[in-house]
Amino acid sequence: MSATTPREDAEVGGRPLPPGWAAPAHQPGADSLADTTFEERARENLARPFQRTAIANATDHTVFALQRRFAGTAHDALRDEARRIRAHAITNLPTYLEQWVDRAEARGTQVHFAADEAEARRIVAGLCAERGVGRVVKSKSMASEEVSLNSALEGAGIDVVETDLGEFVVQAMGDRPSHVIAPILHRTQGEVHELFSAMAGEDLPDDPEALTGFAREGLRHAFLTADAGISGGNFLIAETGEVAMVTNEGNGRLTTSLPRIHIALVGIEKMLPRRTDLAVLLPLLTGHGTGQQITTYVSVLGGPRGAGEPDGPEEMHVVLLDGGRSALLGGEFEEALHCIRCGACQNVCPVYRQVGGHAYGWVYGGPIGAVLTPLFRGQADGGELSHATTLCGACDDICPVRIPLHDLLLGLRRRRVAEDVAPLSERLAFRAWGLAWRHPATYRASTAVARAGLAVLARDGVVSRRVPGLARWTATRDLVLGRRR
Amino acid sequence: MTDRASFMAAVASTPRGHDPGLPDRAAAPDAPTELRAGESPLDRFQTEAEAVSTIVERVDAAGAASAVAAALEAAGAGAVAIAADLGDLLEPVREACRSAGLQVDDYADVAPERARAAALDATVTGCLAAVAATGSIVTTGATGRAAALIAPTHVCVVRADQVVDGLHALVDGDVLAAAGSMFALQSGPSRSADIEKTLILGVHGPGRVHVLLVV
Ligand code: SF4
Repeated sequence: MSATTPREDAEVGGRPLPPGWAAPAHQPGADSLADTTFEERARENLARPFQRTAIANATDHTVFALQRRFAGTAHDALRDEARRIRAHAITNLPTYLEQWVDRAEARGTQVHFAADEAEARRIVAGLCAERGVGRVVKSKSMASEEVSLNSALEGAGIDVVETDLGEFVVQAMGDRPSHVIAPILHRTQGEVHELFSAMAGEDLPDDPEALTGFAREGLRHAFLTADAGISGGNFLIAETGEVAMVTNEGNGRLTTSLPRIHIALVGIEKMLPRRTDLAVLLPLLTGHGTGQQITTYVSVLGGPRGAGEPDGPEEMHVVLLDGGRSALLGGEFEEALHCIRCGACQNVCPVYRQVGGHAYGWVYGGPIGAVLTPLFRGQADGGELSHATTLCGACDDICPVRIPLHDLLLGLRRRRVAEDVAPLSERLAFRAWGLAWRHPATYRASTAVARAGLAVLARDGVVSRRVPGLARWTATRDLVLGRRR
Repeated sequence: MTDRASFMAAVASTPRGHDPGLPDRAAAPDAPTELRAGESPLDRFQTEAEAVSTIVERVDAAGAASAVAAALEAAGAGAVAIAADLGDLLEPVREACRSAGLQVDDYADVAPERARAAALDATVTGCLAAVAATGSIVTTGATGRAAALIAPTHVCVVRADQVVDGLHALVDGDVLAAAGSMFALQSGPSRSADIEKTLILGVHGPGRVHVLLVV
């Protein structure tokens, strides 16, 4: 059994790592927000024609698959039920969190409490240091992107290997994921081919199967030599103290099965009261996320390896992350905590579809990113994102747990104006919105008219830069109309 | 360092929003992950499993062990590990594999050596349950977390009486009490569509999943 520190063999699958692989040049979740504006980032991303086509194709595919998946089922009733479960769990979060911690500890899970991003990094790095962890395998975790975990661990001299294929590419390129479900939506096969060939030191066949095979082989080596596996979690189940996790590749399952230590970093809002609630939330998460009936793997983890079990980690740690969440409880933006990170609102958002995830500057893109970024990172950093939307309402329509993203975005605009951080033009424009907003019927009519107007002006679904009232927005991008059911 | 009390205090210090109450678990609306009225659970299981590229073969109890050996041979497997949850079939499967010339070990013996486990060509397991509406098998910590995952081929024996209708029946039922430290639903081969949305099977988990449905 290899529990040694594999620092000295800084290679994967017997191949040396290419420059930049072990220490990505560009840290996810870092301070890019402070350095650039949405407009600058959007411009940069609009200059990549492949990205726009790829996003459109992929997101269309997912949205159609989702519609087929729920055809003939009680989709709306299911969403109502999911909304109720999430709302109940979040309004009763203190109770359920206490219950979850009690039950998890009773099952041998060690629970840690991270009030903010820095504390989450300290806790995980500390656990690794105390236990002599030299290499960590990671399965996709947005929470770890939130807290920039990789750079903290690498700074502590730990080898961190992302094992989700897309995240592996992102890490090797020193890039950042651009979509919550499909991290390398913005990358071409050619780019992956070039990268993997450089890592292999030979020209690999340029086909997805061979490229995946190359990654699999290297990552298998990482799995076999890792001391700890770090995952996220899609749900916490209060009734049982379990963590539920969905993946398709199986890397999440290996991450939580092979290394001797498993550490899950999970936001506190992932709470579900009961195991039975999985039967409502899982089909919505996977159906809205990828259009699948169910993801290939759904793990429900309830502690470290049990007595008499043939494998599994000796220790299971869960780091509960607050990171700005508790501050939203009971307030105007509480519903943002209902999000199950399916990514569907990104897929239908006409802005996201043009500019891609990176333009949002932090971890989450699309409508939910425009909501969460200012809430978690502050108005000064992310407030302008509430304007990176057309308020077309496509996100509200598709959200599986019926989060009124549109209202939350308007609320954030209002707050931005109230806090006086918005430029004058924005404040004036907002007054008009505000007037309409006081009369919801008028408001709805105005957005419907706007949409109809756009449809008339659009040629081939693309709105040119001449649309009145959208001048500021369309100056840097053509607008593709959102698809409404 | 934030301790439990101060962490919880931050969460509890905020005003409460409107609580709509929890829906009754009995009145769950129809979902794609549930059986439709009048559907045969075994047929639905087969349809859904095949839709995600699982090979499904119906066998009778007497023919199950030799069907396992045949499935392994069809996959070109040489080194095989078998899991304890095969129950009554454990001995017959071991015998059938040996006579087919395969190298057979118990998963529990192989598992502690990660490198050896990773060199396996195939694993054979039973399951805790199977879910008709999603075409999933349910694997457990008790049998081994990586038992159905570590090798390129996974052969799974599912008894017809282990098939539950849908997700609700699974998560509400008593069957999970025997899961041990974890359970997992597995639906077909491991897959990724990360590279330009091209579907690739067998990324980290098995690329070939063969279910023998014992009817
Ligand atoms: S806001 Fe809704 S649609 Fe968007 S990611 Fe969250 S759950 Fe999905």
